[in-house]
Amino acid sequence: MRYSSQSVAYWYFAVAMVLFGLQLVFGLLSATKYLGPDPLLYILPFDVTKVMHTNLLIVWVLAGFMGASYWMIPEESRSELHSVKLAYIQLVLWTLMGVTAIIGYFFRYGTGNKLLEQPLPHKLVIVLCMLIFLYNIGMTIKKSGRFTTTEGVLVLGLVSSAVLFFPALFHYENYTVSIFYRWWTIHLWVEGVWMMIMGSFLAYLLIRLSGADREVMEKWLYVIVGLVFIAGILGTAHHYYWVGVPQYWLPIGGFFSALEPLALAGMAAYAYAAMRRSGLAHPNTLALHWTIGSAVFSLFGAGLLGLAHTWPAVNKWTHGTLITAMHGHAAFYGAYVMIVLAMITYALPGLTQGRREQGSVMGYWAFWLQIAGMFGMTLSFATAGIGQVYLERIMGMGYLDAQLKIQVHFLMLIATASFFTVGVALFIIDFFRYPPRLSVDEASDQESLNAGAASGQ
Amino acid sequence: MNNRQARMFAVGSTAIAALVFLILTLDSHRQFPELTHSENITPQVTRGKDVWHKYNCINCHTLFGEGAYYAPDLTKITEHRGDAYLQAYMRDPSQFYDEQTHRRLMPDQDLSEEEITDLIAFLDWVSKVDNQGWPPRPIRVTGGPMQSASRQVSPSGGEKTSAAGTKTSGTTPVTEEDDYRAQGESVFETATPACTSCHSTAPGADMAGPTMAGIVSRARETLKSDDYTGDATDLESYIRESIVAPSAHIVSGGMYSSGGTSFMPSNYEESLTEKEIAQLVAYLATLK
Repeated sequence: MRYSSQSVAYWYFAVAMVLFGLQLVFGLLSATKYLGPDPLLYILPFDVTKVMHTNLLIVWVLAGFMGASYWMIPEESRSELHSVKLAYIQLVLWTLMGVTAIIGYFFRYGTGNKLLEQPLPHKLVIVLCMLIFLYNIGMTIKKSGRFTTTEGVLVLGLVSSAVLFFPALFHYENYTVSIFYRWWTIHLWVEGVWMMIMGSFLAYLLIRLSGADREVMEKWLYVIVGLVFIAGILGTAHHYYWVGVPQYWLPIGGFFSALEPLALAGMAAYAYAAMRRSGLAHPNTLALHWTIGSAVFSLFGAGLLGLAHTWPAVNKWTHGTLITAMHGHAAFYGAYVMIVLAMITYALPGLTQGRREQGSVMGYWAFWLQIAGMFGMTLSFATAGIGQVYLERIMGMGYLDAQLKIQVHFLMLIATASFFTVGVALFIIDFFRYPPRLSVDEASDQESLNAGAASGQ
Repeated sequence: MNNRQARMFAVGSTAIAALVFLILTLDSHRQFPELTHSENITPQVTRGKDVWHKYNCINCHTLFGEGAYYAPDLTKITEHRGDAYLQAYMRDPSQFYDEQTHRRLMPDQDLSEEEITDLIAFLDWVSKVDNQGWPPRPIRVTGGPMQSASRQVSPSGGEKTSAAGTKTSGTTPVTEEDDYRAQGESVFETATPACTSCHSTAPGADMAGPTMAGIVSRARETLKSDDYTGDATDLESYIRESIVAPSAHIVSGGMYSSGGTSFMPSNYEESLTEKEIAQLVAYLATLK
């Protein structure tokens, strides 16, 4: 850690870790409900556990993004944060928003609008947090006078995330129109501007970890951003299948979302090339695992598994089945969870006392158990989904009867999800077992300066 | 490619994609009223949408295939189930499905009568939205694959579906020249709501309605019995009566009726032609 204000990142990460753990509790609960019967039917029914599962994900991943940005911006701009106090206020507001929203869902206090269930007061707090965040980062960069491309892509991604949240604040009379704008927020986040955020973290990590040339890395970052947006913006159309919008969204969705793997393949190739070419091996090999892992798993989960059901002729049969859950889990994990865990793993030796730069044995177990667990969960959803599509959609068997026939895949889902949970638990334990470091340590400062100098920083 | 060109590529491609997207969005708004029949979004439909949101329905069910995957898709539910059935179902789902059998059950939502009516009005509006004919085959709540596996139902949505074979494209299409009873079998699958959404033809396989297997012998017994409350005198007139006036005689058992009113839709006399009803009767009269 070179700047003492970077230590705010630790608290953002700590909140993210706790909420990540909680997210899995509700995920596991939801999974067991697929097996049934459900003893909690009138206490915690599926709709509630599912809302908590997805909302906790959004809250903790965004907390991770914010923490990672507060870590990265001072280093990139070579300056302390504009205001540490604002950063803490933002964190407290964000955490309160997240926790009260989750408690509210328990009492069915929410909008009931998929993925945008947060009640209006909570949505307004989200906007407020984003404004504080953007102001703080903007001022830091402005004062420092140093603005790198990597940082620019990150900031543009964050600003666009805030802007794209606005359609979610309105109420639409026509259900089809409300679906139309739901995806302006959700799709353009996850397959557009969050990709910019992910790309910039990836570039930052690759520059630091592999010592790759900044000029080259930033040039390719532009190319990746271009590819992401060509495919991502018009790829929104794949959420417009069969919801009551004009017919032309079908071919547009098919064509442009088929291009999405291109951007992701670009990212994976980018990470691989940077690693191969690097002259300097950074000691934090665990962070390198997460970084390369994120690029590869995104290509698999978001790219290939998305492609598997994105053509309208295929999607006609798979739409609204567990095939979507297969793609959703692998894509979100690969692209966003892993990049946040990569940033955390990279920053952690600087943020805590007494931690080895190379990562711990526990850290490696966490990595491989999570990868294996998530891969198994993806396969379980896939096999369950394929069964569902053939029995229910093609053969015409009733929904409830078809679900009974695919019970064995839910058993597999719970088994692999347990592996995954153990992996996450190890990550969380590894995170908390060293105390935080709140001031700049001379020795490590010197070390990271040397590393920075060696990699041309 | 140098850094500047790369930046131009990123900015240029984003700008073009965004522009095309915005133009298409404007055009979609032009078409929304027609595609979604927005003139039919009455205050009641809007209240029904609020009920849908208030009870968080989308986090178990799907609508237009969107939502969670824990409960059946409801896009066309009002084409599969009559009003009376849906009313009674929403009052207490556990009367209709058994958690031990299906391993999951919808918790009773404790809706008011008004909320139920509004919700059904909303779902009925949804079922009529032009969504490119999805789903390509009806998504049913329960039942085996015996009936509709061979046929693809037309994407005409809530419109009255003619059974004359023109709108079915399965492996056994029927034409005007086919046997009357074969045409009746087609009506059984293509009427709106389709008979197959609630009735199977497999012995013992009762769904939302009783199985049609053995209807002939059961009908003869009913006609002989003193409990019979309808006006029919023979097998054909009994079956016809059951189709056009389901409440004339209530078959006991299951959750088929409440308070002397059958859950079966009572609009077949209007939605089917006289000839189609006759074909259907001829078909059902073969199920001994």
